[in-house]
Amino acid sequence: MDTDLDVPMQDAVTEQLTPTVSEDMDLNNNSSDNNAEEFSVDDLKPGSSGIADHKSSKPLELNNTNINQLDQWIEHLSKCEPLSEDDVARLCKMAVDVLQFEENVKPINVPVTICGDVHGQFHDLLELFKIGGPCPDTNYLFMGDYVDRGYYSVETVSYLVAMKVRYPHRITILRGNHESRQITQVYGFYDECLRKYGSANVWKMFTDLFDYFPITALVDNKIFCLHGGLSPMIETIDQVRELNRIQEVPHEGPMCDLLWSDPDDRGGWGISPRGAGFTFGQDVSEQFNHTNDLSLIARAHQLVMEGYAWSHQQNVVTIFSAPNYCYRCGNQAAIMEVDENHNRQFLQYDPSVRPGEPSVSRKTPDYFL
Amino acid sequence: MSKRNTPPLRSSGINTIQINAAREMHAQTVRARRMPMPTSGITTPSVQPTAAPATPPRHICNNPNNPQCLHCGSVIIPSPRATLPLEDNPSISINDWTISSRKKPILNSQELDIWENEKLKGLTLPEMIFGNNYIRIENSKQHWSIEFNALDALKEVQLQDSGIRVAYSNDWINSKKRQNSTNGAQRFTNDVNDDSLNIIHKYDWTYTTRYKGTESSPESKFRLDNDQKLPLDKLAVHDKILFYDDMILFEDELADNGISILNVKIRVMNERLLLLSRFFLRVDDVLVRVYDTRIYVEFDENVVIRESKEFEGKYQDVLAKHRLSQSHDPKAALRDSNWVAQNTPMIKRQCEIIQF
Repeated sequence: MDTDLDVPMQDAVTEQLTPTVSEDMDLNNNSSDNNAEEFSVDDLKPGSSGIADHKSSKPLELNNTNINQLDQWIEHLSKCEPLSEDDVARLCKMAVDVLQFEENVKPINVPVTICGDVHGQFHDLLELFKIGGPCPDTNYLFMGDYVDRGYYSVETVSYLVAMKVRYPHRITILRGNHESRQITQVYGFYDECLRKYGSANVWKMFTDLFDYFPITALVDNKIFCLHGGLSPMIETIDQVRELNRIQEVPHEGPMCDLLWSDPDDRGGWGISPRGAGFTFGQDVSEQFNHTNDLSLIARAHQLVMEGYAWSHQQNVVTIFSAPNYCYRCGNQAAIMEVDENHNRQFLQYDPSVRPGEPSVSRKTPDYFL
Repeated sequence: MSKRNTPPLRSSGINTIQINAAREMHAQTVRARRMPMPTSGITTPSVQPTAAPATPPRHICNNPNNPQCLHCGSVIIPSPRATLPLEDNPSISINDWTISSRKKPILNSQELDIWENEKLKGLTLPEMIFGNNYIRIENSKQHWSIEFNALDALKEVQLQDSGIRVAYSNDWINSKKRQNSTNGAQRFTNDVNDDSLNIIHKYDWTYTTRYKGTESSPESKFRLDNDQKLPLDKLAVHDKILFYDDMILFEDELADNGISILNVKIRVMNERLLLLSRFFLRVDDVLVRVYDTRIYVEFDENVVIRESKEFEGKYQDVLAKHRLSQSHDPKAALRDSNWVAQNTPMIKRQCEIIQF
């Protein structure tokens, strides 16, 4: 099967949403291997968790019962304690009925605080809410990469999803390239789910849920927000609206580019020497902003020492919200506040200080040879 | 890169928080480095697990932040994690030998600009560079030293195409070419043409480096002698470690296609030291590489041995070895450079020696 992702598909919102995956995407990554027990192809098929088996035809309505439930979960999670597997299943089912109705390009009003990668650094996420102001008093937009690398991916993504379901109009969570089945198997989220739950069920639920995350947002028609960057196949924001996003992040095509590409000093479109992935130059950013009457492209995806960095003469900003990334880089994190008058302000912050969790690497000296 | 040119930072209010956090963290760090002392008095001194006859201490701890080990109960705990504007710079001396290390955060935008535009022109820098870190071994009497740092390691990265591509590169490039040729004028709205589907900027994006350390003398003092071997018997003895450090010099996640990392660690005992500098590369579904350089010094004999080994294998071959042993997470082993080094064929070995 050759799923041509570049052919405009029907509007994802009106279409009956079913996860799709192209067969040439080898989820197992081991074509030569006869499916190891834990990695049977069936298990990895999108939708195998069943969280989206009984989707509602209208958005989830909050009532006293589920508000109480959500508040309990949020309270529990804010102590950095994971939910039970059953509760994760309940939460993910509710989240499907919120996220499936969001558009590929989620419209957002000012004021809003825009955040970059979090990567499972749960305590630093709480620090972020301290610096930026508590949600729902402050509106938040997260641009993806909630899981992998940090030690608390489960708690981080559970917390953000619970907040999303509880305050659907106050917080927006976009999809990053790490919200994917393949990447999370390599960079820690899969591993963490096995450790914390003893099985891959929770991982399956969340990765099935990731398929429903919106991929871009548009703040007051002026700031285009997404995880990675531009795509040579996307000239207008309307073209993003036509994509079918409910699928595993593909290896190529516009959806892949939006989650993966990087700005570069060189003009025009470039290809990474790795042999895959686009870079886009200032001319491309200027053209895109001009065509779509935008003032800025806000994206995440890359580590920056100061937490944020301008590029392309302020046509593009990179925001990174994981301080001391991987617990060893010593970088600052930042978030960007956009107020009612479209003034922008960056708030930088350092890793949260946690009594009991030393900032010192206590690697025991070992007799390495 | 221009994106790193940040304008002056704003902020009122945040500063105070930052400073407090920094102070608190520094205090924690200093506290954590002091090893809990056995409370003198009531408790009887515990029997040392090593039965070796007590030798009088002869080493000197050079940094007051890393408290003198009262012979020596405590190992010099390496430095804080790289956080905030902290810096840690422990050092120890034995005979004429001084070993020191430094750990700091990754380079900031200003430093990166200088590295990119002056020091390492032509290289797109790896994502994380601990450019102010080093481990140095020095002999003051012989006016000789060897140091491991990120800048010199990155200078050995080739400024040409490595030929290595990520696993799905062919599919990716071909699909672009197909789209270009079939869709005619409509297709890529922004001019991606066949030309731009070639990779223009050429450098080894895997950051493979055969770095073996930087000697102080312009001419290397090492003499090639492949018959030399590290004295594993001596190194296997669990002599008390007086100084230990472990640090990353640079790291890149290869845009989530694996990892490229250069790590250096050292342990110093009363009579000898061992340093291991390891370059580890994993390109997912493509290949793994481990390039190890070990430095061994026998203090009383004033002899230095440097051994370098290169391991390389196809990803699937190495993974297949792991399949034999059942595991929950089959890819975990491929994140462990020790396991990879043990299960990947060695393709080159070299040994050198200095006898002062």
